Amino acid sequence: MKSSSESSRWSGLIDYFGLLGVIALMMLFFGTQTENFWTLPNLFKTANQIPEFTLLAIGMTFVLIIGGIDLSVGSVFALSGVVTGVAAVQWNWPISLAMTLGVFVGGCCGFLNGFVSERWRIPSFIVTLGMLEIARGAELMIANSQTQYIGGAVEKLGMPIPGLGITPAFLIAILFVVIAQVILSKTVFGRYLFAIGNNEEAVRLSGINARPLKITVFVIAGLMAGFAGLFQVWRMGSADPAVGVGHELTAIAAAVVGGTSLTGGRGSVVKSFLGVLIIAILASGLVQMRTSFHFQRIVTGVVIVLAVILDAYRQKVTWVEFRDSFLKRKPAAR
Amino acid sequence: MCAQSKTIPGQSLFKWVFLLILFSFMMTGCTDGPDTSDSTSDEPKKPRIALVMKSLANEFFSTMAEGARTHQAAHADQYELLVDGIKDERDVSRQVQLIEEMMVQQVDAIVIAPADSKSLVTACRRAQEQGIVVINIDNKLDAEVLTQQKISIPFVGPDNKAGAKEVGDYLAGKLAEGDEVALLEGIPTAYNAQQRKAGFMESIEAAGLNLVSSQSAQWEMDRANQVAGDIMTQQPGLKAFFCSNDSMALGTLAAVRSADKLGQVQIVGFDNINAVQEAIKAGNILATADQHGDQLAVFGIEYALEILESGGTPDDKETPVDLVTQESLAASQAAE
Repeated sequence: MKSSSESSRWSGLIDYFGLLGVIALMMLFFGTQTENFWTLPNLFKTANQIPEFTLLAIGMTFVLIIGGIDLSVGSVFALSGVVTGVAAVQWNWPISLAMTLGVFVGGCCGFLNGFVSERWRIPSFIVTLGMLEIARGAELMIANSQTQYIGGAVEKLGMPIPGLGITPAFLIAILFVVIAQVILSKTVFGRYLFAIGNNEEAVRLSGINARPLKITVFVIAGLMAGFAGLFQVWRMGSADPAVGVGHELTAIAAAVVGGTSLTGGRGSVVKSFLGVLIIAILASGLVQMRTSFHFQRIVTGVVIVLAVILDAYRQKVTWVEFRDSFLKRKPAAR
Repeated sequence: MCAQSKTIPGQSLFKWVFLLILFSFMMTGCTDGPDTSDSTSDEPKKPRIALVMKSLANEFFSTMAEGARTHQAAHADQYELLVDGIKDERDVSRQVQLIEEMMVQQVDAIVIAPADSKSLVTACRRAQEQGIVVINIDNKLDAEVLTQQKISIPFVGPDNKAGAKEVGDYLAGKLAEGDEVALLEGIPTAYNAQQRKAGFMESIEAAGLNLVSSQSAQWEMDRANQVAGDIMTQQPGLKAFFCSNDSMALGTLAAVRSADKLGQVQIVGFDNINAVQEAIKAGNILATADQHGDQLAVFGIEYALEILESGGTPDDKETPVDLVTQESLAASQAAE
């Protein structure tokens, strides 16, 4: 944290190269181990499968930066999709209105998360754990546990754009990544979020009211989950109330692989997106290698832990110390 | 939002919320009370049957529970029904807890869809030792463990293997010998997943199809979508997917659609959920199996009532599985 802005800019670049290097290595490995991995259709297919996780990871990155956590995104994601489905199918709402309602509901869940945890100063871990159950229960109740088949216009939205091969959802997700990154790194709001994550008390003492900012962050996470739910509905043409279980953990994993700190104050949406890519390519490649589901989980877990270990080293020690720690030498004085 | 007003109103609101929650607990306690006393004071004591389900988040099981409730409402003079389920399909320990709760409540019969074929046997044995009639539905308890524990629990349910074979044969009829096909399995440890896989495998072997990949998609739509996409990448010439349930068939359909292979890659499922009926009518999914989910728990309950009356030691009982295709849906629609 004490490093000058110039050296932090350099270390940021090193992060990007590191993440891109991991992606390149994985592509190389899976490309040699399986057929058709380096084909355009496979790239498009992988791209079209990640918009949901990209949005969840954006929201999660914001929340982690302010030192919070949002465990409810998987449930809120499912709730938004189901609300859209039920509104369109059972209440016969026009599809655009139904989709708006779905996203709105996501935002409302986010607001409740933020408001309750800020108003009564309850750790977001606990509040969002409650929301995880509430949203899941509400969603199952609304849908009566039935998969809602929507079809029609929604199915068309989930199709790749002719001649381009990728879906509108992917393009929108990329747009969101860019907007979110600009908000984080170029606006005062973004700067405050990092400051809150680093030292909330200092922010408060300098006369800034952190509460509305933090609530806004949870609203952003809720809205992102809402849009992600919508994308899922586009892709599937139907809303399944059973989706999204454990998605919050994948979103956290993507952010962490991307170098976002679980204790707040550090993170980047673009790097989280690279984290999503790493996890998606890993999952896809392991399926194509026909490894078992259980083995896939082990590998994914190992990659997450490795990413965190590397990141911890990068944060705390210099390269020389990192090298020395392996050579069992006494670390050089800082 | 200002800092001065943070504690006092917050605390009082907190207190109110707390009181409200306490009050609502008392209310539910009150409504629970008369219910049970009612049943004991009734002149001829009605048997109390507990239905212990798997995940009520799953359409299949919620439909099953709904069917049981409807049946009970129509036969309210014959028995009482307690329905409970678990939130996660794999939450075995919670299901054991539920059985223990039912034992404490001294129900006369337990109809259970076990989350696991093996680990639920001991709890069922304890219930049986307490004189409770135990009926096994949906997912069959492991025969080996049952003999080890020296008990017999009747299974009432469909032959998943025969059902999958029927669906598989229908699909195989649309393909040529040597065509490349893939199988999406359920959770590998579940008995019905194993049975469906075995049924599909029989039809694949009988028709001489070339099975290029068989992977578990954990019964999930999202997971199936990803896995199906990857299988198609590996096998561009793939002709069909055998999906062990309908959620996975829907996820596969989305993958096939976005690979622009509708019509080239056939899909079959299992369970006959509403969303899949739409896809079958549209010609995007070829077939599924109807095991009459709304009736499965009812079959178990009726069997339990029968045993409570006669007191005999019962055998297994098979329930029907029907093939659902575009033609059969059109025929049933015309009949209505």
